[in-house]
Amino acid sequence: MRRGVIAAVVLVGVAAAVVGGTARSSAHAGTKADTITVWVGWSARELKAFKSIAAEYDKKHSDVNIKVVGGINDDKITAAIRSGNVPDVVSSFTSANVGSYCKSGAWLDLKPFLSKDKLDVNVFPKTSQYYTQYNGKRCALPFLADVYGFYYNKKMFKAAGLKGPPKTMSQLTAYAKKLTKRGANGSIKVAGYNPFLGFYAGNAPDLSAYAPLFGAKYIDGGGKSQLSKDPAWGRLLRWQKNLVDFYGYKNLQKFNAGAADEFSASHAFEIGKLAMMIDGEWRVAFVQAEHPGLDYGTAPAPVDDAHPNLYGAGYVNGTIIGIPKGVKHKDQAWALLKYLTFNAHPLALFSNAIRNVPTTKQSLNSPEIKPDPRFKTFLNIFSNPNSKTSPITAAGNAYGTLIQAFAVKWQAGHAGDLTKGLQKLDKQIDAQLKQAQAGGVP
Amino acid sequence: MTETAAAAAAPFTLERRRARRRAAWRRRRLVLLLMAPWLIGFSAFFGYPLVMSVYLSFTHYDLLSSPKWIGLANYKYLFRDDPQVGPAVKNTLWLIGIMVPLQVLFAFGVALMLARAKRGVGFFRTIFYLPALAPPVAATMAFVYLLNPATGPVNIILEKLGISGPLWFQSPQWSKPSLTLLSLWGVGTLMIIFLAAILDAPRQLYESAELDGAGPFQRLRWVTLPTISPVILFSVVISVIAALQYFTQAYVAANIAAGQASQAGDQTVNNLGYPEGSTLFYPVLLYEQGFKFFNMGYASALTVLLLAVAFTITVLIIRHSRRWVHYAGAVK
Amino acid sequence: MSVAVAQPFVRRKVPAAVRRKRFLVAVANHSLLIVAAVMFLAPFFFIVLTALMTNEQALSSHLWPSPFRWQNFVDVFHQAPIWRWTLYTMMYAVLATLGVLVSSIPVAYALSRIRWRGRNLVFATVLIALMLPPVVSVVPLYVMWSKLHLVGNLGPLIIPNWFGDAFSIFLLRQFFMTIPEEYLDAARVDGCGELRILVTVMLRLAKPAIAAVALFSFLYTFNDFFLPNIYLRENPAHWVLQIGLSEFRSLHQVQWNLTMAATLLVMAPVIILFFLAQRAFVEGVTLTGVKG
Repeated sequence: MRRGVIAAVVLVGVAAAVVGGTARSSAHAGTKADTITVWVGWSARELKAFKSIAAEYDKKHSDVNIKVVGGINDDKITAAIRSGNVPDVVSSFTSANVGSYCKSGAWLDLKPFLSKDKLDVNVFPKTSQYYTQYNGKRCALPFLADVYGFYYNKKMFKAAGLKGPPKTMSQLTAYAKKLTKRGANGSIKVAGYNPFLGFYAGNAPDLSAYAPLFGAKYIDGGGKSQLSKDPAWGRLLRWQKNLVDFYGYKNLQKFNAGAADEFSASHAFEIGKLAMMIDGEWRVAFVQAEHPGLDYGTAPAPVDDAHPNLYGAGYVNGTIIGIPKGVKHKDQAWALLKYLTFNAHPLALFSNAIRNVPTTKQSLNSPEIKPDPRFKTFLNIFSNPNSKTSPITAAGNAYGTLIQAFAVKWQAGHAGDLTKGLQKLDKQIDAQLKQAQAGGVP
Repeated sequence: MTETAAAAAAPFTLERRRARRRAAWRRRRLVLLLMAPWLIGFSAFFGYPLVMSVYLSFTHYDLLSSPKWIGLANYKYLFRDDPQVGPAVKNTLWLIGIMVPLQVLFAFGVALMLARAKRGVGFFRTIFYLPALAPPVAATMAFVYLLNPATGPVNIILEKLGISGPLWFQSPQWSKPSLTLLSLWGVGTLMIIFLAAILDAPRQLYESAELDGAGPFQRLRWVTLPTISPVILFSVVISVIAALQYFTQAYVAANIAAGQASQAGDQTVNNLGYPEGSTLFYPVLLYEQGFKFFNMGYASALTVLLLAVAFTITVLIIRHSRRWVHYAGAVK
Repeated sequence: MSVAVAQPFVRRKVPAAVRRKRFLVAVANHSLLIVAAVMFLAPFFFIVLTALMTNEQALSSHLWPSPFRWQNFVDVFHQAPIWRWTLYTMMYAVLATLGVLVSSIPVAYALSRIRWRGRNLVFATVLIALMLPPVVSVVPLYVMWSKLHLVGNLGPLIIPNWFGDAFSIFLLRQFFMTIPEEYLDAARVDGCGELRILVTVMLRLAKPAIAAVALFSFLYTFNDFFLPNIYLRENPAHWVLQIGLSEFRSLHQVQWNLTMAATLLVMAPVIILFFLAQRAFVEGVTLTGVKG
């Protein structure tokens, strides 16, 4: 009896090995495809669009299998590169971090690849070239750009008797006050314009979306932080706090806490709780998908009263894409990267789908582009010479965190004297920059 | 023993001694075998990290290239230039100075009530202990939602009562009290320890105090408190240790609360410490530097400082406790 | 006034006034208890209510769901890979608990029932390790695990538990100390070696302490967020429940009704475990405090 059992077990074992072995060998004989993993920050509808672009490439190239992972942020990228479990192609929405990626070698230097294939980066707009390199070291390429402009609810404008979008900050304040509807004991039912730093992307707390509208520059010619020296910053912050105080800080907090998430279908602007806002060009696609009946218009954002010539400018940044250190399939990763960033076809298709700005002249003028009048506004802002992006530093976007810490205190009224506060902030940023350049903290 | 008896007994004693030595050798081998896992664990997961932390604190290390020796630069930045260290230390001291006493007092108070209760003790005990079992992540998320200033039930009820509720987790003044409320919800473990200790107190002491005419408050002061003073010390020490490593609740609360203020979509925003750095505790800062920015060298410097402080505080508490803790019998 | 029944001792007759006062005090005490109990239960109450609402209701000022959307508990599973998270959580909790038991029991035995030189010093060292939070060792350990290419899976979480856990050693040792030497001597007389004694006699006598250690270990690892957050965050395929819960959101937003339902689901196993092992829990906690 026992011997029979042992025999049976052995037989089963041998059979399994044989079957397994043949299965494996047949698998080997048929496929030779390498799996190329691509990490992107998009999710849901936008991710689907990217996946279809990737699928097209996959079909044309039988030697690779493209695997797309969405919902990636910079923390995940940084952690993955440190732990060694990296994808083959990686992309980020925070172009300001390219400084630390290039300096630390986290993303590979692309110059050898570019020179081998004789590709010229001048097909990209100057701004996009700037935010994909640091100190001459190029570790990323631009993959569709973002630009910030102004959205306004035409229906509410008509009801309030307002003709066109505001062109200056004082006009914006006046319109905002007119379009605001209050509820019981000061609460905000409909906000004309929400200036709260941290509320939705247009109010990025590092002040990046507002800086080009006031002509404010972060760093002076000598590479030092000049938030306290450039008067534009003071004007920016005072304007902002003025409007915050009009609404009441606590009322705004309550409004924000009750507002839906930025990328949900119940976005405050899309459901009519917010009359005007500064937002990225991608919002056009979101509204189209979620609230196609919304009567709204787009325009360049209003600018500082002291610099009316800046009208038409906006904040620019974009998605950067590169190859991480420790990559396993370097050449195939480069092939995909090259295709995505230099070819007009994927850029045009993807731009249509998610309404981001195409980053090569060829793709911008491609016949595959589907024009949209509301989106055209953003293309104009993008090409405006006064449109600026954030400075690229060795510490990446760390200075943004310092500015954020100060700005949120400022709008709450906890920052004391503005000039003194900005001077202290400048010192902190300079110290941080010095450490990063010397290879210290942060 | 006389000389002759000793001489006669000599080989016998020698045998005994050899046998004893062999037994001792066997015992030592056994001990080594039993202690082996701990020995390895202690060196690898305690000793090695300690030494490495000190070493790394003098380097710049981002895990991409090998550590670069920079001497005291990390410490200079820590003590002089880092704008986040001061607030982080203050926040953690707030926890030790305010949250810990409140926890201990509240746990003791509830235990006292429970000790006096005659009926339904098991039922009440379950209710008080259950929240302590809840995973901190789940409890924190629940509290952040419940205390949402606009849509959370707490403020809605307060509104109905005519009170304008505070901004709770959205306000820098109220965020730590909100976290304290969360921790008070979870004092079940401390409460049970206190309860057991109170019930353990010898009845004779109470009865003799009562005979001497002591009222309830005096009995509390002169009988209960001294009797359970070792347990009070124990509770204080473990609560302080917990406060020094307070991370999960702060991290989750900051991220969720900031998301509620609609920063969720913007990935460039750093939510740690939200709002206005009021929830940036020392372990959160350590995490940020070590695992968000990967400044391993600087994070090690922060670690060394934390070690020094934790050690000092514990020694201080224990030394100070000698004055007021009474140990019954020779147990300790 | 009734006469005391035949009892071995005579009860002191309590005057009515004092009895009334004692009654009022008891009532006051009980009312306070009830108030406290309501405050402790209130959060659970609201979580359950929110878990049964629709998303719009959860974001509005309504306190009562209408209708009761039991569907939410099913939707949670569609929204996120709860089962996979549970699997990984269980792997972590069970393997870690096993490791703690296997490695801590021998150490506790050696520290309590065998006399050897340096025993007290080593025990003091164990206590010191207890005082220092895991936060303190995490940076160098991460570097070590990273070099071993183990970041992203459960290894760094489980392995340290197989080399002794200070708290468990402490608890077990204290308990072992209370077991009378006679039991062990009886076994020694029977010719058992020390190891045999440990396994056959000690384990059986120390069941409550071992149960407590197992429960606490399981609870701690089930609820653990700090270590999984550091080692597993970048690898969603290996996430445990706590990380998953903290990141629980639909692709575009946080749906609070589903999030509260998910919160309940994550709390459920622990609460069920408590009710099944109530006595062991309470005894265990008492052991910690009274012997500590």
